[in-house]
Amino acid sequence: MGIPLEQLLQAIPFEQLLIQTVNGIVTGMILALVASGLTLIFGIMDVVNFAHGELFMLGAYVGVITLAATGNFWVALVVATLTIALLGAAIHVTTLRPLLGRDPLTTILATFGISLVLQNYALWQFGPVARKIQEPFTGHFTLFYLDYPWYRLVIALLSAAIIGALWLFLKFGTYGIWIRATTQDRVMAQAMGIPVPSVLTVVFAIGAGMAAASGVLFGPLVGVNHAMGLDWVLKAFIVVVVGGMGNLGGSIAASIFIGLMESYASLWVSPAQAVIFSFVVLILTLLFRPTGLFVPTPK
Amino acid sequence: MTLGNASTDPLVKVEDIHTYYGKSHTLHGVSLEVGRGEVVGLLGRNGVGKSTTLKAIMGIVRPSQGEVLFEGRPITHLPTHRLARLGIGYVPEDRRIFRLLTVMENLRTGLDRRGVTDARKKQLLEKVYDYFPVLAERRNQAGGTLSGGEQQMLAIARAMMLEPKIILLDEPTEGLMPRMVSQIRQIIDVLHHEGAAILLVEQNVPLTLEASQRIYIMEKGVVRHHAVASKLRVSDAVIHQYLGV
Amino acid sequence: MSARRVVVYWTAFSVILALLIVAPLVLPEFWRRFLTEILIWGLLAMSSDILIGYAGMVSFGHSAFFGLGMYGAAAALLLVKPPDLWLAILYGLIAAAGVAAFVAYFATRLRDIYFAITTLIFSQIFYVIIFTWTEVTGGENGLTFGRPALAIPGLFSVPFTSETLHWFVLAVVTASYLALRRITQSPFGMVLQSIRENEARTRAIGYPIERYKIAAVMLSGLFAGLAGVLYAIQNRFAAPDFVFFLISGEVVIFNVIGGIGTLVGPIVGAAFFLLLREGFSRFFTEYYLIPVGLIFIAMVIFMPQGLLGFMRRWLNQ
Repeated sequence: MGIPLEQLLQAIPFEQLLIQTVNGIVTGMILALVASGLTLIFGIMDVVNFAHGELFMLGAYVGVITLAATGNFWVALVVATLTIALLGAAIHVTTLRPLLGRDPLTTILATFGISLVLQNYALWQFGPVARKIQEPFTGHFTLFYLDYPWYRLVIALLSAAIIGALWLFLKFGTYGIWIRATTQDRVMAQAMGIPVPSVLTVVFAIGAGMAAASGVLFGPLVGVNHAMGLDWVLKAFIVVVVGGMGNLGGSIAASIFIGLMESYASLWVSPAQAVIFSFVVLILTLLFRPTGLFVPTPK
Repeated sequence: MTLGNASTDPLVKVEDIHTYYGKSHTLHGVSLEVGRGEVVGLLGRNGVGKSTTLKAIMGIVRPSQGEVLFEGRPITHLPTHRLARLGIGYVPEDRRIFRLLTVMENLRTGLDRRGVTDARKKQLLEKVYDYFPVLAERRNQAGGTLSGGEQQMLAIARAMMLEPKIILLDEPTEGLMPRMVSQIRQIIDVLHHEGAAILLVEQNVPLTLEASQRIYIMEKGVVRHHAVASKLRVSDAVIHQYLGV
Repeated sequence: MSARRVVVYWTAFSVILALLIVAPLVLPEFWRRFLTEILIWGLLAMSSDILIGYAGMVSFGHSAFFGLGMYGAAAALLLVKPPDLWLAILYGLIAAAGVAAFVAYFATRLRDIYFAITTLIFSQIFYVIIFTWTEVTGGENGLTFGRPALAIPGLFSVPFTSETLHWFVLAVVTASYLALRRITQSPFGMVLQSIRENEARTRAIGYPIERYKIAAVMLSGLFAGLAGVLYAIQNRFAAPDFVFFLISGEVVIFNVIGGIGTLVGPIVGAAFFLLLREGFSRFFTEYYLIPVGLIFIAMVIFMPQGLLGFMRRWLNQ
């Protein structure tokens, strides 16, 4: 290590650090939205959903199409969420329900197959050229020397709002109680009259809908193409493991942590290499705190 | 045999069921009946298949042979949650409280059903809180933080939320203090007076003989003996033979 | 195995081997190449079966071992003049072994899906490094090189033809198969299977299961690296696409389709997959993964024992 730390820090202006902080939180919130769907599905159903990134991607495409047809971003957001939630329900009923009670590893295999099918379907339908989602408003505000788009902040807030709504639903709704009861004891939940197979389908649909919503929200920032899900599903996996499997609060904390870290790392290395930092965090977490960084130590 | 209702079909009828756990044959043709509003005791040593019989009625264990009838209808192939909605309440041996749900949320798992009006919900909750005042005090506490006896009450209260026609009670007094045991005994009577049938699995022979109208005694996966409860004494030879007390 | 089954097994083995030896003489060039490729992918799938089928550890990171085998061979073929076949194999194996040691040390502390996710993440780390370290690895474009001669030092040295290449690959794959079969039937293989059945019990009996798992990952990684070397020699290039986790996913697909825990199954699975790809890509062009994916999902649900298990049951009926 030839360069001392101070020198490294001096090379980075303070404003740029702040800008990266804002960027990191914004990506972190989007990541949280993707990951909370994934962690919900994992925590409740023991299903590692490899196709989550593809649901994110298809959501973005449905957004592109609806936006072209209606011209309204918010309509596109809602339509994409509902469409992909329905697709999620269909996927669950046809491929995951038959695997209930088998080794959780078989769900990785099945959802990996689904992800291949969906990704290539998107390539076939929409072609390899990336599509663009026009952001609903283009205003900027001044963040030091940068014109920072309002839209980015709005995404972060909207993600927080959607996650908050999910939390309220789980906490107070009848279905939320059913979902939590199912997570804790499937057999007893059934014995209390809770229709567990439908509960699991609904959970998968909610997770899918949230992935789609994040796809539409994030679309304006990156462009929509068939392979966009890959990066996200990997990052979301990292978040889910680092945050503690099935732990909603932990996933959010981990998302922001990973978002910030990659954001700072990209001050020094290319964004492609910044990913390695998250990988390393994941591996260290698995080795030293396999229950997750952001959960209290189990007794 | 006493039947609580003029209807000809018993409430629950178990016909010659066989179950397997892996390769081991756990039930070898169990048959029994519970009439409407009737309290029936199921006695036997540990591991003779009493709990498995309850699980088979509840659809948690699937019989490979034989049939379970509810009000004359075969229910052997219905999913468990449909059975709960038909009116079968289940209080398992290990209570199986939803530990991370509050007491109130535990009760809501059975209460939030279609067709239950808000007024009816309130009524049911009040009734349960009336029987188990301690649950009212702890309504916002997580189920896992309750004591063993409180958890047992919650498990029974939770099953009552389904307004069941029959409750399958698996060793409700196991591991409880004497004061709690007599409270459970009272609850069984209350449920009985309200018209619910009960299939009671117990190790506590005197309590079972007192609380029930009829008794089945199981051994090695089959019913060996069947008698009217009032004609049995703890000192009877059959009790000695099958229960070794 | 009963004496009769031993006879049946070795007869079938000899017949299939004989067919594979004769095949390049009768097949047209395209199918000759295709068959060689099936053998290479089959070797990769077989190496992964050691983990999936015997130790019960699903690796989603076999692309790293395979890819490093390719790049190791590339290093030997580009840096050492004249290019030497055996040196390419040696370098490839060393590279794969290095990665395997790294992955084995960390990933074997985890089980089930955690193991799967960790191996996946490890392979992505190597992917990112190879993809971005353009000066050394050629980055996105990869490396191209010439094919070494088929030589035994001091005896002979002839350039590879597509027939001799096929025979060479066949010899390596057959030897690997026999070695792996021997290993899985050895006490070591039995311990692996007992870890799969009941890890806690195996530990309680007194086996140092971490060491067994590390050895299993190393072994699996070495054979995967060997497959990578063969692929590099056949195709004369190394590219980051082969380190990407989709390759690992395909390897898992080969295993599931063919039948895990059988060694031969994964080869059958690779052949089936490549044939499906060949067949479907005529109608669906590059979207062949849609029907192939659907078939794979159906097999996960309805035929968990794979083609080989299915055939075995069908024959036994």
